[in-house]
Amino acid sequence: MDYSRKDLADALAAEYVTGTMRGGARRRFESLLPSHPALREAMLAWNERLMPLTAALAPVEPSGDVWRRISDRLDRRKSVAAGAWERLSFWRGLTGFASIAAIGLAALLANPRAVAPPVVVVLAATGAAASGVAGAPIVASISGDGTTLVTRPITPVALRPDRSLELWAVPTQGAPRSLGVLPGGSGVVALKGKVLAGADTLAVTIEPAGGSPTGAPTGPIVYVGKFSL
Amino acid sequence: MLRSPADWTERSHDLSRLLARAGLGDRAAFATLYERTSSHLLAVVLRINRDRAQAEDILQEVYVNVWRAASSFDAAQSQPLTWLTSIARNRAIDSLRRLQTQPQMRAGAASSAGRDSEDDDVYDTVADESPGPLDLLSRAAEARSLAACMDQLSPNQRQSVALAFFQGLSHAEVAARMRQPLGTVKSWVRRSLATLKSCLDAALHGDSARGR
Repeated sequence: MDYSRKDLADALAAEYVTGTMRGGARRRFESLLPSHPALREAMLAWNERLMPLTAALAPVEPSGDVWRRISDRLDRRKSVAAGAWERLSFWRGLTGFASIAAIGLAALLANPRAVAPPVVVVLAATGAAASGVAGAPIVASISGDGTTLVTRPITPVALRPDRSLELWAVPTQGAPRSLGVLPGGSGVVALKGKVLAGADTLAVTIEPAGGSPTGAPTGPIVYVGKFSL
Repeated sequence: MLRSPADWTERSHDLSRLLARAGLGDRAAFATLYERTSSHLLAVVLRINRDRAQAEDILQEVYVNVWRAASSFDAAQSQPLTWLTSIARNRAIDSLRRLQTQPQMRAGAASSAGRDSEDDDVYDTVADESPGPLDLLSRAAEARSLAACMDQLSPNQRQSVALAFFQGLSHAEVAARMRQPLGTVKSWVRRSLATLKSCLDAALHGDSARGR
């Protein structure tokens, strides 16, 4: 699905905010928000339209216990972060990470075929005339299970504020499919369904802020890379 | 007391300042924010999840999240009361999902989900003290533009939106409550939202054009 399409983004956001969107669809919508400004904008607009309806509800005073519990939890966070404890929590965090890594390794050894390695794609700069785009590549990593794509630029990309970088999957036949916009070249994309099926190229174009208004690329290709899954 | 959407913007002004200070770690500002908003958010949560103990647990989660996220609140993008209410609603809707995966817990709470028609009578007697979703909608419509927009909906459209929005019911649950086919209910909700959108957006632009 192409979430940069305004009508689609609006319909999904309306269902999300009204609350009729449930379960997996709801969680998927939330996971798409960070990398799809069109969805985010549509959601914010629906929030402003519908939330004031709740002004009609008669207030219900919570019991005093609720604030005490909130307060206690904030105190606990504070004391862990304070002074020497900060260092302790750092080491705690590190050992936590080590044991997670160890568990991960154990899982990998016990069941070697369960976790496929990620596919890394290097998107080289094309040198197309565009200000703010560096010569260094953007690296994209597709998770082994094919559900997530993460991009990072080697050097930061500084675009004009009215422009966005948009990532596309280009199939060998047919039109490019939008994977979302990449603020500063960085992005986390949930790969839905068969969005990469038949595709052998990832490309990044320069589009108006928020992504292509038409759903098809309109600007110059500034980064491109081949891949195979 | 918050009664009409007209107060919304007014109250939001003070709340913006409190949220900004809470974002910088000001606990006193956060306490004031809680005092001014918690009874509204609890009312919102209770509409969706009627279990009082669970609703208060949800409220606790909401404010711990608000404290963490306060520094990322962007007053240019949304009004504070809108932001807070949407966080509370999302938490409450998520709690229904968890409830549904624990069937043994549903005996008491099933009525709030209005799952099938047998539940309707139970539901109605439980709900009799508080105003129904339709009353709420007309009360919310006291503000001029919203009232005009609500008038453009048919009674069925209005009821379907009210049930979905206030009670947090899914399409299927609204269909069961109204004893109507799922497809019919879906299109009522969809058309109502489309009508409200164009009407409210037009009213909003009209207001700002008049230099509000």
